[in-house]
Amino acid sequence: MDQLFAFIVRQRAFIFFVALEVLSLWCFFKYNNYPSAVYFNTANYYAGRLLEWQTSATQYINLRTVNSGLAEENARLHSQLAQVQNQQLSGINYKADSAVASRFQTLVAKVINNTVDQRNNFLTIDKGTADGVQPGMGVISATGVVGKVKTCSEHFSVLTSVLHSENMVSSKIRRNGEIASARWEGINPDEISLLYLSRYKSVELRDTVVTSDLNSVFPGGVPVGYVYRLKPSADGAFWDIKLRLATDFPNLAYVYVVNNRLKTEQERLEAEANPK
Amino acid sequence: MNTRNLLTIVFWSLLYVVLQVLLFRNLVLFHYGFCFVYVATILLLPFDISAVALLFTGFGVGFLVDIFYNTPGMHAAATVFTAYLRPFALRLLTPQRGYEDRNEPLIGEMGLSWLLTYIGLMVFLHHAVVFFIEASNWALWLPTLGKVLVSTLFTTTVITLLHYFRKS
Repeated sequence: MDQLFAFIVRQRAFIFFVALEVLSLWCFFKYNNYPSAVYFNTANYYAGRLLEWQTSATQYINLRTVNSGLAEENARLHSQLAQVQNQQLSGINYKADSAVASRFQTLVAKVINNTVDQRNNFLTIDKGTADGVQPGMGVISATGVVGKVKTCSEHFSVLTSVLHSENMVSSKIRRNGEIASARWEGINPDEISLLYLSRYKSVELRDTVVTSDLNSVFPGGVPVGYVYRLKPSADGAFWDIKLRLATDFPNLAYVYVVNNRLKTEQERLEAEANPK
Repeated sequence: MNTRNLLTIVFWSLLYVVLQVLLFRNLVLFHYGFCFVYVATILLLPFDISAVALLFTGFGVGFLVDIFYNTPGMHAAATVFTAYLRPFALRLLTPQRGYEDRNEPLIGEMGLSWLLTYIGLMVFLHHAVVFFIEASNWALWLPTLGKVLVSTLFTTTVITLLHYFRKS
């Protein structure tokens, strides 16, 4: 017993070393795989306040980019409005239920922390559960998709950005409606890959890729990116497509949190139909 | 160690962490060069600090930085690792006269070439752990190694430059 005790005392540095490493790595991998507490990230009250203060001091630097993003969004909304007004009377006999048509609500939030250079990137916004933000909601910017809410505290939320290895965005090519998935490869914050588009489907350079209607997080039709590199994949079965991201992540200032009011209903129904 | 020395150390440790969170977190060169200046907190502690105190300081500082990077545990793991290896590195780099008449790894006491070797080595170990945990994937080993090397140069330069202010 004495010997054991003496051994522990002699090796205490090594024992503490192992214990602290296990604790750290456990935190890290648990955080990446599960939704977790809000104390140890930037949704934390004190961290959030500090970042908010820092943003208020530095937000004037990228106003020019923010403005051009908003102008671009206005132009896009104008053209969509014109399109909707033209289409309303003609076409197929489909009318959306008013609850379905108005299921997406948006809330403006300011980005107070943002990384683009990590392997898994996160954003922090200054809206939390007090403003109705809940984990799982989608977030878009004036120019395209941004990410998904991961954790919320009362006044802040942390999002996993599209620049995160776990985030896949169900997308479609706007021109012909072909469905594929967009995922970030982990290096360049301006570029995202479009996966699983069969070699026999049509795609062209400069095609616009938008979110598909097959997801409950983002509304359909939000820009994801623009095709700028295109070649057949190594095995020849798919296209190897790189998109220029629609959202300018390094200069993100304001975002819209999208609340799909029928998300729970849709997911419950899908779970009932397909129990796991 | 007297109270004045202790206060100096606490002041500089806080300064490194604040600089990390408010300044260097937003300063990334060409998506490859990161500066984790907070490592200086454990590198520049006095020689006579106990190994266990070193480990806990490393864990605390690393975890604080992690909160702001949304990577709970990653920087803590790397910093604890660096803190554990510090006594071995110091033994490896023992100067000819030993450490007897010296208190802290600062330039006035150790000289520039010793300091650059020591900081460079420790920073390299720390960054290797940070970036390989972050990648969690050997497929990205080449860009990850690139990040480690570029960032090691960047951090070593910044720590050495800042350390000139600390000397006085």
